[in-house]
Amino acid sequence: MTPGGLLGIAGIGLTAGILGAFKAPRLWLAATLTGAAAAFAAAVWALATGPVWDWQPGFVIGGEALHLRLDGLSAFFLLLLSVLGGAGTLYAAEYWADRDHPVSAPSARAWWNGLLLSMGGVLLCANGLHFLIGWEIFTVCAYFLITTERQRPAARAAGWLYLAASHVAMVCLFAFFALLAARTGGWELGPMGDRPGLAPLFWLALVGFGLKAGLFPLHIWLPSAHANAPSHVSAILSGMAIKLGIYGLVRFTGWLPVPDSAGWVVALLGVVSAVLGVAFALGQHDLKRLLAYHSVENIGIILIGLGFAMIAAAQGQAAWGRLALAGALLHIWNHGLFKALLFLGAGSVVHATGTREMSRLGGLWRALPWTASLFALAATAIAGLPPLNGFVSEWLVYLGLFDAVSAHGTAAYAAIPAAVALGLTGALALACFVKVCGVVFLGLPRTPISRHVHECGWRMRLPMLGLGAACVAIGLAPVLFWPALVSAADAWQPGWVDDASSTPLATLGSFHLALAGLVILAAVLLWRRVKQNGIRRAGTWDCGYAAPAPRMQYTAGSFAGIITGWFDWILRPVRHAHLPKDNFPARADFAEHTPETVLERVIEPAGSLVQRLSLAVRRLQDGRVQAYILYLLLGLAALAILAVMGGPR
Amino acid sequence: MSGAMNLLIGLAMGFSLVALASSRLPSVIRAAAFQGMILGVLPLLLEAKFHWLVVAVAIGTITVKGFVIPSLLRRALRAANIDREVEPLLGFVPSLLLGAAATVGAAALATVLPLRPEHARSLLVPGAFATVVCGFILLIARTKAISQVCGYLMLENGIYLFGLLLINSTPLLVEAGILLDLTVAVFVIGIIVDRIQREFDTLDTRKLNSLRE
Repeated sequence: MTPGGLLGIAGIGLTAGILGAFKAPRLWLAATLTGAAAAFAAAVWALATGPVWDWQPGFVIGGEALHLRLDGLSAFFLLLLSVLGGAGTLYAAEYWADRDHPVSAPSARAWWNGLLLSMGGVLLCANGLHFLIGWEIFTVCAYFLITTERQRPAARAAGWLYLAASHVAMVCLFAFFALLAARTGGWELGPMGDRPGLAPLFWLALVGFGLKAGLFPLHIWLPSAHANAPSHVSAILSGMAIKLGIYGLVRFTGWLPVPDSAGWVVALLGVVSAVLGVAFALGQHDLKRLLAYHSVENIGIILIGLGFAMIAAAQGQAAWGRLALAGALLHIWNHGLFKALLFLGAGSVVHATGTREMSRLGGLWRALPWTASLFALAATAIAGLPPLNGFVSEWLVYLGLFDAVSAHGTAAYAAIPAAVALGLTGALALACFVKVCGVVFLGLPRTPISRHVHECGWRMRLPMLGLGAACVAIGLAPVLFWPALVSAADAWQPGWVDDASSTPLATLGSFHLALAGLVILAAVLLWRRVKQNGIRRAGTWDCGYAAPAPRMQYTAGSFAGIITGWFDWILRPVRHAHLPKDNFPARADFAEHTPETVLERVIEPAGSLVQRLSLAVRRLQDGRVQAYILYLLLGLAALAILAVMGGPR
Repeated sequence: MSGAMNLLIGLAMGFSLVALASSRLPSVIRAAAFQGMILGVLPLLLEAKFHWLVVAVAIGTITVKGFVIPSLLRRALRAANIDREVEPLLGFVPSLLLGAAATVGAAALATVLPLRPEHARSLLVPGAFATVVCGFILLIARTKAISQVCGYLMLENGIYLFGLLLINSTPLLVEAGILLDLTVAVFVIGIIVDRIQREFDTLDTRKLNSLRE
């Protein structure tokens, strides 16, 4: 079957899902899963066989002829979309079921399919106008999904912030596509590297797509939106929606010429996003908000790779540029997989306990063994530890940076600090996930709510298992995925990446296999020793304190306290402390809260300044004819003075 | 010829000041009417040779500005049953001083402007500026709709004066067009005056701001 037919099935399945969302949830589930499977098959076909699928049926929408195209890059993202869409669909069937959410579940299903359809449309459109239309529908669908629980004020506020930020991005994209159309004379998109006059448009694309991708100073909408959406929505938002921003950047840096400084700026933004994203994540006490900040971090890692690939493309250094590019592309997949798994795991925790507050959880490993193990697997992957997939893509980026250093170009001076920052990011991410796993799953329950919990059902477990298996597969056999990377990279910079340059991955793959073998061997040996010697249970060492209680465990804040202290200058945490004094201290308490620094210290003051100025200007319109005439006279007088001062020429 | 013209323009400028200084609405209307009639005569003095079109326009101007519009305004005045501008936004003496200052400023401005030599000694340009600014002052400083109409009339008179500079190149039909617009505007304002009167029981245009959003 051709990809056209498969994509047709996908479209029909998702549309049928919208129709079935309200009355027939089973039909919705079947149709949506079929659609996702068909999209998956189409993407695999395009990645495996290579030729670009191009379809111009002659329909006219909005005055422009419909033109769909599935090339390597689109297929690369479409594959991730279909995997995450399918996983989220199955997960939502149990997680957001009609039984628990009779009002919001049907509409959430409909918007979910709308989101998948519009994101697929954005990936396939080869016409600027239709790209914008798809983008806007995708934005609106995501808004309604974020505000699924709109009875909660926090969800409404998050949705509103998301909508406002998205429309700022939309304005930039409108300007970008309109200027592009004005300069090229048509809305058709395609490679136009031979027109250097288009280069300045890159900055508009960077702001527009960067806002969506959530790179550091533009990430303001991201934490609250990801935290307040239902978890399957958070998973697709973090796994796929913000990747569409990356898709836009990759697509248009590949097709259009870029300014000379573009690569440097992207790499710098990547470094800033990576380090500060993880720093903010360390300061969070809300499980899903913490994961959201890790999205900022991983977008940063992707942008480091992309930025250095752009620098290499500008300097004609394919040798290390292709490694950075391959790393960035593979990290798009990897982040999509393990971040979706983390959000689904967090959703399982929220589903069981009803809270996202880490200081109220604890000791969940016994109650939720599947969730906890899969969450830990994903945490290992996101922290960039071998032998999982996170390390594979970061390794490629590292290799690109190291080769850039040994190539002795101008990029070497940037590559060293970038590599250091990447290492720092990995270490901090590891610390952060040790904190999450330790606080949420280990220790003892801190509050009664986490004592009586139950593991999720198979429909929530199966998608998580699938995503976890994908993480392991990419980690153990990365070479299998190299053709997909070649196909996607070919759409970005033709002929840059070939099948022969996969040797680093082959080496890494065998190393990972050996490591995994050793880990399994060690586990088996340990298990046998435990079996032989038996288990003796005892209390944890209690520092000599006679009556330890669960509340005396490390909290999320205290665990990360030292590291967040290093980043006080940007995190600006708010602390309320009544420390114990004297030998017989009275009540003491300590509370710490990390605000949305960029939002609260920069955007909101700027916004209220604009509002004050506007209100002051509004007083000019007081409704009196006399005042308006006075303005007219003053304007005329100013013009006269200008004319007289300008003098006769 | 120039002497007589300057005299008439000076008189017209005087009437602007009269309109600014007077608190009674009928005298404001009268001042505007006299000013209009004086200006209506001017084209006859400017044009060296006799032309029936110029005469027709002069007669039309005098009729409309001197009789038709004032009578319309007086009728509105009677209908609204008011006589005085009770609480101007800017007092009468300050308005007068401002008007005088504007006149002086207009004379000063005219010396700065790069005028053609035949206009340099005439009062046409300063007179036009002074009348326009006085009309504006009347518009800004008064609250009654009738005074505002008079302000518009004076504004138009100033524009008309300026238009006389171009009398050789621009047909007077332009002026006729402006006059027509003005008459329609006066009609419209007459109707609005009536409505304001009925709605708010006053002609104070400040009350209109209760209509803003």
